Amino acid sequence: MMTTRWRRVFASVLLSLVLLVTACSAPPASRYDQTQKETTARGAAPAVAKAAEQGSSFNKFFPKGQKGFEVVPAQEKKGFAEYKVNQDGKNVAMLAISDTTGTAAASKFQASTFTLGGYPAVEQGQTATAVLVGDRYQVKVLSRATSFTKENRAAWLEKFDLKGLERLK
Amino acid sequence: MSKPIFELVDSLPTGGITVMALKSLDFTLPGKWQNLVGFDNTIRAVTGETDDDLTKQIGDRAVALFNDKSQGYQRALWLYQTVSSASGALGTAALANKIGQDISFLGILKNLTPKPEKAQSIDLCVKLVAEIVAFCQINGIPGDSVGDFLAALKDYGGESLVRMAALVCFDGLIPLGPDFARKGLDSLKTTSASDLEKNQTFKGIQELIPGDSPQGKLGFITESFESTRGWMDGFVSANSLTPEKVVDNLGKFVDISKDKLDYLGAFLDMYVKYYEHTGIQTLARRLIERAVAEI
Repeated sequence: MMTTRWRRVFASVLLSLVLLVTACSAPPASRYDQTQKETTARGAAPAVAKAAEQGSSFNKFFPKGQKGFEVVPAQEKKGFAEYKVNQDGKNVAMLAISDTTGTAAASKFQASTFTLGGYPAVEQGQTATAVLVGDRYQVKVLSRATSFTKENRAAWLEKFDLKGLERLK
Repeated sequence: MSKPIFELVDSLPTGGITVMALKSLDFTLPGKWQNLVGFDNTIRAVTGETDDDLTKQIGDRAVALFNDKSQGYQRALWLYQTVSSASGALGTAALANKIGQDISFLGILKNLTPKPEKAQSIDLCVKLVAEIVAFCQINGIPGDSVGDFLAALKDYGGESLVRMAALVCFDGLIPLGPDFARKGLDSLKTTSASDLEKNQTFKGIQELIPGDSPQGKLGFITESFESTRGWMDGFVSANSLTPEKVVDNLGKFVDISKDKLDYLGAFLDMYVKYYEHTGIQTLARRLIERAVAEI
């Protein structure tokens, strides 16, 4: 029969074990935990605004393949359309149009210091260049190979039918 | 609600039987298969960006997109997971979760029953359809556009291509032999809607297969298989694939017994979760590609 003291020791050992087991089975904390919580909460705002334009409306504004470069459709979702640029069968860049409605994506253009095709432009990270058209549609070119330079990105941005996109209502 | 996407990608194994089986298919791919695991790792690999703040921003957007059910990503994940687990439900093997343990082929042999050829054939066809439907959910092409899928198949790379290679090798060549494509098609033509409804893999995903009735769904499956057959045959001849060649290569990575080939199909079904593993990788990649473009 256990004395009171042993019972207390036993209880604290048991409690520690329970805590240890629970800690071991819980996933490690992630820097995305906060976003996970916010985007799965009841009544969380959808990732894509209801008013966002369908991706299919954007297809006609993308550049066609050029000599040596193939342009291949990749994704077409609400508020988003994307094409791949392939050279000799290798993916060298991505072209994308997205509707910034309901997102914070347009705000970075307030600090824009240059234009492309007449529209405010920004460099993003090491691999992306983007313009904002009609204060709403973001057109972005992303390098996927080191051979596809910042200059290449700027050139391809100007190949989009940006004026046509601006007229899209 | 599924596990968070970053958790799924962070938990992908770097070793074990699924990874080894997929590595054994390297010889069919241009360049080696890269087993990309870890959410932040995948962000860096896909985008080429390494800045912590920027990668966090990209990851946040990817997480938000995945959690928005209307965007279809969770449905795609469910498809990959359901196909992986349904095909493993052989019914006769009552085995505890063996992940991480040494799975010796001969050790569990007595617990496996080879699936009849017809069931294997239907499995192959249903898995192919799952691939098409998941593709459409992820990339947004209209749900029954087999033609668009075929066009995109030519551009398949990385983990998507290795998944198709595994489909051909593990679900086609090994259980059904070199004639797997014809057997698959012949099987479908002699399958009734009620036969189809009894198939475990089909039962698991039928609500997402285009078609108003089991008959209609059977029609879609048949059409998809017929259309993709050309690609599969081409893949086999381009790599001079035979069941023996696949088994030989598999044997370099996984401890198997080559004279128990008829059990090998069941073994692969049970333990090689290639659909789920590479499906999660494909999903993560697409999400991240979209996220980095949208931020």
